[in-house]
Amino acid sequence: MKAFPTQEIGSLPKFGWRTKPFRQMALTDDDLDSAKRWGDLLQVEGRTDLYRTLSKRYSFTDEEKRAIVDYSLLYAIRMCETAGRGLAKEPGLDLVWSGEQARTEMYETPVSNIRGFEFVGRVRSFDNKYWRMASIRSDPKYKENYHLQELLFSEKHAKRKLKVPVTDAITIMAWSDNNYYTGKWAKKAGLPPAKRGFSARREFTLELANIIRRVIRELIEEGVEEVQIDIPAATQYQTEDDIKLVAESFNETTKGLDATFSVHSCFPPNTGYGILFPHLLEMKKCERFSFEYGNRDTFERGLDAKARVGFEDLKLFKEYGFKKQLGVGVIHIHTDTVPSVEVVRDRVLYSAKVTDLPPENLYVNPDCGLRTRRPEIAQKMLDLVVGGAELARRKSG
Amino acid sequence: MTEYQVSLTGLHARNERTIQATQDWERSRINEVTLKESFDKDCESLVELQRRVGAKYITDGQMTFAWQDLFRPISSGFEGLEPGPMVRWFNTNTFFYTPIVKGAISSDGNVLSKVIQRRFVDHGSSLKIILPDPLTFAELAEDRHYGSKEKLQFAYTDALREELRALSSLGVKYVQFSAPSLVYRLKQKPFTRGGLGQLGEAVRNALKGTSLRSGFYPFFGDSSPYLPELFDSIPTDEVGIDLTQTDDSSLSSTSKGIIAGLADSRTTYLEDLESLATRVEDVVERTGTKTLTLSPSADLRYIPRVSADEKLELLGRLRARLSRGSASPKARASRRRAK
Repeated sequence: MKAFPTQEIGSLPKFGWRTKPFRQMALTDDDLDSAKRWGDLLQVEGRTDLYRTLSKRYSFTDEEKRAIVDYSLLYAIRMCETAGRGLAKEPGLDLVWSGEQARTEMYETPVSNIRGFEFVGRVRSFDNKYWRMASIRSDPKYKENYHLQELLFSEKHAKRKLKVPVTDAITIMAWSDNNYYTGKWAKKAGLPPAKRGFSARREFTLELANIIRRVIRELIEEGVEEVQIDIPAATQYQTEDDIKLVAESFNETTKGLDATFSVHSCFPPNTGYGILFPHLLEMKKCERFSFEYGNRDTFERGLDAKARVGFEDLKLFKEYGFKKQLGVGVIHIHTDTVPSVEVVRDRVLYSAKVTDLPPENLYVNPDCGLRTRRPEIAQKMLDLVVGGAELARRKSG
Repeated sequence: MTEYQVSLTGLHARNERTIQATQDWERSRINEVTLKESFDKDCESLVELQRRVGAKYITDGQMTFAWQDLFRPISSGFEGLEPGPMVRWFNTNTFFYTPIVKGAISSDGNVLSKVIQRRFVDHGSSLKIILPDPLTFAELAEDRHYGSKEKLQFAYTDALREELRALSSLGVKYVQFSAPSLVYRLKQKPFTRGGLGQLGEAVRNALKGTSLRSGFYPFFGDSSPYLPELFDSIPTDEVGIDLTQTDDSSLSSTSKGIIAGLADSRTTYLEDLESLATRVEDVVERTGTKTLTLSPSADLRYIPRVSADEKLELLGRLRARLSRGSASPKARASRRRAK
């Protein structure tokens, strides 16, 4: 097994030529140049057909739009597979995905494809970043498999092992307006307010878990071997009952399914990931936890706790005797400022030091999906992941 | 006879037009002037709505770039502070930049006056400003200077005092200290009576020498572990209770005004007016308060703007309903049974 294998976390930025045809916006010269520049750089097969399609600039047919999405999947796969060129002797991430190019984003795609939701407007997450909130107005029901087409395409074209990211029930619950279940539980007298709120969250979550299990089962039937359950909201509701529910939801979602499962989460409260323990370890089928750490770290080189302050929380895994795999986020994804490759190396080596895990159990990745960055920055970040992991590999012998 | 007021308690949701403007601005599609126009119009519509529902103290919804989060003008403007890593804001899907305390905190008193919407003061409204309370600041900041949360609370309120004096002289009428860290304790034990007393002194330190009316609002958690001491320990005119988290039965008599967090700011589900009216009357009966401010349970930034405004309108209808008289006999009977 390879030491310090590398992976992406999910999303990659979308090019203007991918998004504008769906917004009824005409493509500019810059969009066409970008398609050519990146297509040539990544050596995307059949790219001249894409250039020809894009040269139309506007009024794309449905068939042409489908082709544009397919090419964006291909660009993303190749971006993952060539990451680290010029920085590493062995470029390419070990686990790749098609950058969620076929999805609106990780929340909007599932809720658009599950019955019972209505979009109610945008809500601000931080600064000028928003998500389109959906409100649950009746019991959620399976509508269709919203990841199947992108999977089939990605399977056909990826040269490396795929890992499919799937948004979990807790996150969909937490980012949605829980109108229906709040109303349902408001009518139940005799419960303290906090208990009513939790009951509404739990019922909603477990209904969703049933639907997501079906989505994943169908992906597995199509050959998927590895699924990343995305739970960015794992640390949102922080009562003991809610943390137990995170594990319960994961176990319900993966019940009876045969694949390799990992979990991704990020941006905990200021108390860190400690709030997830020990219930996190009750996720029986989880082989790897991939969390964000780079955000809180310094840009100094070094293997001491002061330089690597962002990675202190990793000690929790050792304290609880965790022996499986971890994915460590080594690049903060909400800024264009990136660390040096030597700092990334040190982040990887420090992670190995404080977890005591064998290097082959320690995956290296960006903190989170890269969809908010420009393609040039996202590429640079993936390069650093591959380059930093390789330097760490050399250093650790 | 209880006076019923209506008030917002935090950052408000931006409307779709402003949201689009911020995104267009980020993509260089519009300039700063156009962006500011959007914020201004958004703010005006919110102020208008507050007037319509009979709010005595008006907020500007903190709808400017300066208030990207509750700490931002402070962590960006006070000496000794800077914004640090992004972390989750309690149990929401919103995030803030941790205030890093890198040196002695101070302020010349001119930071917050630059970020309030003074034009509403000039037009005769009683403007309310909402700030982090000293405890929440001390709990969430990363302290690299003082080495003690107590010292940090007082250093923060020393600087805040200068700001509040300046705001008062500009015509701001009300300051609310938002205090989620007091009640959002989870695995941690509630603060002791001594800790509560110390917090009260820090708040007193901030208010020294100002004539502002004041409120203290702990939300996102159950206040019952602090009752009834909370009312006596915190030297503000009004003390808030998040009633979506706190059971009415923990309330007892007080001479303070109460900010009643009734409308759940975390969901678009609109509460039943009669149920809310019954609940308010129960709170009044238990506390004997002379002033009760009908409020959302927290900032109304956690749901889209249309729904946030609906919540505020609901509180306006509730105020009108309560001002007309007591709840129906059926509702009263139901309340007695619940007790």
